[in-house]
Amino acid sequence: MKRGLVIAFLCMLLLCFSYYSANAKTFTPLEKQGFLTGGKCLACHSAMKGKILTEKGNLVDVNVDGERYSKSIHGGFDCIICHKQFGMNPHKPTAIGDVPKDIAVSASKISHKAKVDAVALAACSECHGNIYKSWQNSIHGRNVIQKKQPDGASCIDCHGSPHYITSKKTETSTINKKNVVKACGGCHEKEELAKKYNFGTHILERYYESFHGKKYILGHQNAPVCTDCHNYHDVRQWEEPMSPVAWNNRTETCGKCHKGATKKFVTAITHKPIGRDNPIPYYFGKGLTVLLLSVFVFIVSHLIVEAFSEIRDRVFRKKKEEHHE
Amino acid sequence: MSNETQKEYQRFNLIERIQHVILFTTFLLLAFTGWALKYPEVEHYSKWWIGIWGGPKTAGIIHRFAGITMLLDFIWHVLYLAYMLSTGKMKLRKETTIVPLPKDVFDFIKNMLYFFGLSKEKPQFGRYNYIHKFDYWAVFWGMGIIGLSGLFLSFPVWASNFFPAWSINWIWEVLYVMHSDEALLAIVFILFWHFYNEHLKWDKFPMSMTWITGRISIEQMKHEHPLEYKLEFEDKKGENK
Repeated sequence: MKRGLVIAFLCMLLLCFSYYSANAKTFTPLEKQGFLTGGKCLACHSAMKGKILTEKGNLVDVNVDGERYSKSIHGGFDCIICHKQFGMNPHKPTAIGDVPKDIAVSASKISHKAKVDAVALAACSECHGNIYKSWQNSIHGRNVIQKKQPDGASCIDCHGSPHYITSKKTETSTINKKNVVKACGGCHEKEELAKKYNFGTHILERYYESFHGKKYILGHQNAPVCTDCHNYHDVRQWEEPMSPVAWNNRTETCGKCHKGATKKFVTAITHKPIGRDNPIPYYFGKGLTVLLLSVFVFIVSHLIVEAFSEIRDRVFRKKKEEHHE
Repeated sequence: MSNETQKEYQRFNLIERIQHVILFTTFLLLAFTGWALKYPEVEHYSKWWIGIWGGPKTAGIIHRFAGITMLLDFIWHVLYLAYMLSTGKMKLRKETTIVPLPKDVFDFIKNMLYFFGLSKEKPQFGRYNYIHKFDYWAVFWGMGIIGLSGLFLSFPVWASNFFPAWSINWIWEVLYVMHSDEALLAIVFILFWHFYNEHLKWDKFPMSMTWITGRISIEQMKHEHPLEYKLEFEDKKGENK
């Protein structure tokens, strides 16, 4: 019994150690690893400043901050792990045929979306296959792939520049709890996108006004953010049956925090604007404001009048009172 | 003065004083812990302020705890009143009651005339003048509106069972507005009405000690509550003779 425990303990220790060393290896800076091209690309690109105009007409920053890159979660990667087209001669892309077929196919589907290197963007799927698949089926992915639109978030629209992605637990991460609402707002507050896709720009504003949003602003750890209710990679419109906020899934989604949530309860949350579509709370609120102001005016004027009369009594009618007493 | 002559009058008994202390401590706690949630968009200050109360989570717990304590205090007060009235220990008399009467309207008008120098006569108040009555009944309004909406907002799943189907689209917004706006009203009310009348007034500053001792000097009683004084002392004197 005792011996078994000791062996188990040693095995655990070994596991921890091997895990630690494996991780440590991933995070050693590029230069020390002797990769083929990594250090060489960065030799120029970490020093270069400025932007170039691509064939598609996008302005692209040529600078890659080597130090920041090496600290990012993919900092141990050689550049060509993602930029697969740039095999030997870095500035003459090899034929797309050299790129693994599935990635080439994915890249061709999103080439209108990628500003710089569609292959590199599609290369995310090589390691994050399941996530890439669920993104393809999401409302964002389908807008890019099926509807061939340049809008609709791809990996880097939410995760930020692919060279500086850090764990979502770090505060600099664009999808850290502190920043994720802003990341969604990056598109969902844009007037032109709202018009094109018929969604409201008031959604973030209404979220911030809600209890969930207010608690979030104050830094409440349990306050839900967009992704807690709407999913992150597999975002869908609420009318789709697979959406977590679809009518049939809502009790489960709200029930994550509100135990025993019922159908009646889950209607409580909408991002509807107060006013036009929702007149009762709007006018009720106005009524209460009028009440507040009128009470305020009454008590303050009563107070001022009384205070002045007291001063008058003390100063000018002093003798009279003394006489009385 | 002889020993027989009373110097002070017991205005509030111990139970009433305890109820008042619970009421104002929970009120202050509720106002302080709820404030940051009212204006969180002023991020720097709201975060600093909620930090003083142990962060949003702890402040939320304090807020709920204080809210429930306040509601229990309120229920205790109502039951206490019912007991006192039913056993005859407290009597409804026009000179001592807190119930608003037509006289209060006339008192208000008289008082205004006096304030503006149009009349030289101050109104004669009973145990509670219209200022006290306003102060007292405002708490009932607050308990009903803020207390009830707060209870519903704390237990939303449970509360949703009570609301009819046609109201679910707007009831939560209404509850939120009720809780938040009326809380602001309560704070403004206490800050201006109660603080002025019980703390800042010339002869009360910095505060009247009645809330601790429950006593009030006979001189002050004659001055502020002449009708009650007459009822308690002059009439009794007459009876004794």
